[in-house]
Amino acid sequence: MTTYHFGRGRARWVPYLLLLPGIFFYVLIALGPSMATAVYSFTDATGLKGAPVHWVGLDNYKEFLFMGQASKDNFAALERTLVFCFFVTTIQFGLGLFIAVLINQNLKGRNIFRTLYFMPVILGAVIQGLIWSLFLFPIGGPMARVLEFFGTRSEFLGGQPSEAFAWVIAIQIWANMGTTMIIFLSGLQTIPTELYEAVRIDGANSWQVFQNVTWPLLTPSVNTNLTLNIIGSLQAWQLFLVLLGYRNGTQVLGYLIYATGFGQTSGSVTSSFRQGYAAAASIILFLLVLVIGMAVQTILRRREVRIMG
Amino acid sequence: MFKKIYFVMTMLMLASVILAACTTTASPTASSPTASSNTTTDQKAAAANVTLRVLIHQNPPMVAFMEAFNQSFHKKYPNITIDMSVVNASDLSTVTQTRLTANDVDVVDMFGFANAAQSYMKKVDAPNWQQLIDAGLLMDLTGQPFVQKYDAAAVKDAGTYNGKVYEINLGRVSYSGIYYNKDMFTANNVKVPTVWSELVAACQTFKAANISCMTAGGKDGWPIFVGAYGLLGSIYPDQAALVQGLWTGTIKWNDAKSLSMWERMQVYTSEMMESGASGIAGDAAPGRFASGAVAMFPGGTWYAPAIDAAQPAFKWGYIPFPGSDNAEDNKYLFGKYDQGWAVAAGTPNKDAALLYLTEFSDSANYQAFVDAVGFIPTQSTATLNTTIGKEVAPYLVNFRVGYEQYWIAPKGAGQFANPWASYFKPFGTDDDPKTLADKVQADLQSGLDAVK
Repeated sequence: MTTYHFGRGRARWVPYLLLLPGIFFYVLIALGPSMATAVYSFTDATGLKGAPVHWVGLDNYKEFLFMGQASKDNFAALERTLVFCFFVTTIQFGLGLFIAVLINQNLKGRNIFRTLYFMPVILGAVIQGLIWSLFLFPIGGPMARVLEFFGTRSEFLGGQPSEAFAWVIAIQIWANMGTTMIIFLSGLQTIPTELYEAVRIDGANSWQVFQNVTWPLLTPSVNTNLTLNIIGSLQAWQLFLVLLGYRNGTQVLGYLIYATGFGQTSGSVTSSFRQGYAAAASIILFLLVLVIGMAVQTILRRREVRIMG
Repeated sequence: MFKKIYFVMTMLMLASVILAACTTTASPTASSPTASSNTTTDQKAAAANVTLRVLIHQNPPMVAFMEAFNQSFHKKYPNITIDMSVVNASDLSTVTQTRLTANDVDVVDMFGFANAAQSYMKKVDAPNWQQLIDAGLLMDLTGQPFVQKYDAAAVKDAGTYNGKVYEINLGRVSYSGIYYNKDMFTANNVKVPTVWSELVAACQTFKAANISCMTAGGKDGWPIFVGAYGLLGSIYPDQAALVQGLWTGTIKWNDAKSLSMWERMQVYTSEMMESGASGIAGDAAPGRFASGAVAMFPGGTWYAPAIDAAQPAFKWGYIPFPGSDNAEDNKYLFGKYDQGWAVAAGTPNKDAALLYLTEFSDSANYQAFVDAVGFIPTQSTATLNTTIGKEVAPYLVNFRVGYEQYWIAPKGAGQFANPWASYFKPFGTDDDPKTLADKVQADLQSGLDAVK
């Protein structure tokens, strides 16, 4: 006979009833708009209330993928998005793990370090951008002074697109590393100390302890962090807006979507509101996130089963 | 168990009710529009408490003026409170779109209508102001008494669509001139340049004296290329014809004439501009110029009040960018219709909004406005009292609307299909004018071919 946690009879439906508010808000805030975006991507919607919306079929997709040099620029932005994702994910993951292991030790003032490392996370993108714009100010800013000491100089965020892009990668890592670190830290604190004591008695050195105890038992945290880092970096756009604005050679797909959909301009040059086209670009980004996300999930799940059983 | 569940659910419901009760309407004290056609706008607006939501773009002297104006307006009409939001110029259209769509704003600051599709342009989208009107989001202001206060030409060119007035434009600005430091020019015995070779020589003199020649707000990107519009204008004085030529293929960005422009743009960005200009925000550049750190500052006339505010005793002049070696080609000022007022069609505060515009358009208030922001006035009764007004007065007969106000890129054109100085190092990646000119033309041609 089946037993239900909440009892028998009508009580069986209580869990579903309790889930309803969550499902309602999920549909309202996430699933509904996502479905609407998919529909919008086949229209010339402007996003303006009262403006007529026409069905344009695959025109937006054709324009994004195959129309002149603009589509080549879109592919360049796509490539830049993947490069951004790779560097942010790997460095943020590695650094977050390293710092989590470090401040998981019995150090003096470790709570202060935890707070300091996590602090950038609670700042908004605008504040983060302001801090770094000042830090990287090329005329007498702190970083410019350091370079001056070594007899060199840089334009930092306003200079070569590749350099500006690299700075955004660094700032993205700085801004989000705290979350990665906290997830690893919580994972580290679930590992029983007896295991460490046992392998130490067996004569394992620090690296062997990490390799054979810490790393395998951190698998759930590894999976969570990798997934969050990959998806987060593929969708990043706010720091690009705040730090660089609309600059050739620096845009990632997320920022292109924002700029196109909301008529982002340069100075007072007017542009059109093209939310239908931006929706098509969003769907392409969604597919990219989906493919990469699912592939990573599959690999991680297999690894988890292999390690954790 | 059930008691516990019911308790939890009751608490959730209570929380929902409380949260819902906390939700406020966009304008809690706003009155509904009155229907009486016999009452005047003033009387109706004075009848109830109203919070008027106004949106403007960031321009420090304008913001300062508007704050003072709002205070005096509220003093005169105590029942109308102004809730003014300020956004960066680059974000103005985005915020306008979202707030108009949400019916969350009453009066919006809009740049003069520009970039309308021309008959020779194929498959281009309507500019955003036109989309807003077509969507029924802007109020028809035709026939409002305050509209009559503005020049008919300005009303027609910058605020009229399909025969109806949707914006009153508050002034023209030029962006193709250069501010220069009078004392620094005198001290270094440098003549105010009227041709390109003199400008180059002036910069060399300043460089030799260990003074940076020019600065600009490179962090925002557009001030770098806006500063060079005079270069473009000295080579193509008829900018509407330039745009048509580019679309129809009679002018190319890599032909001999354009190439000379690119060569000079490279000198402008790489040799004339100070190191580190890429980190200076647009709003900070006037202050840097006023501090005496540089000799010149290519920029719009709207920066003049900020320069004066930074250093009131600072002596400066303003000249058209001498981009050509023929002084006759350098007599033009290029610019645009800047800020204007539009009203949300769906505003529940129509009377207060119209009263706000009426009050603003009062001759004395408008004169104070142009004095504060340095606009070239669009009310015929207003005078050019400001320093910048006097500086540009000799060139006003040669005032022309600039390229960017006409240009719409064909769909499919690449991101380099513009005459922007910021493509050059140190702001961009290019350092060879010929290579860049070919790239710009190729990016444009790609779009023209795509829409054939």
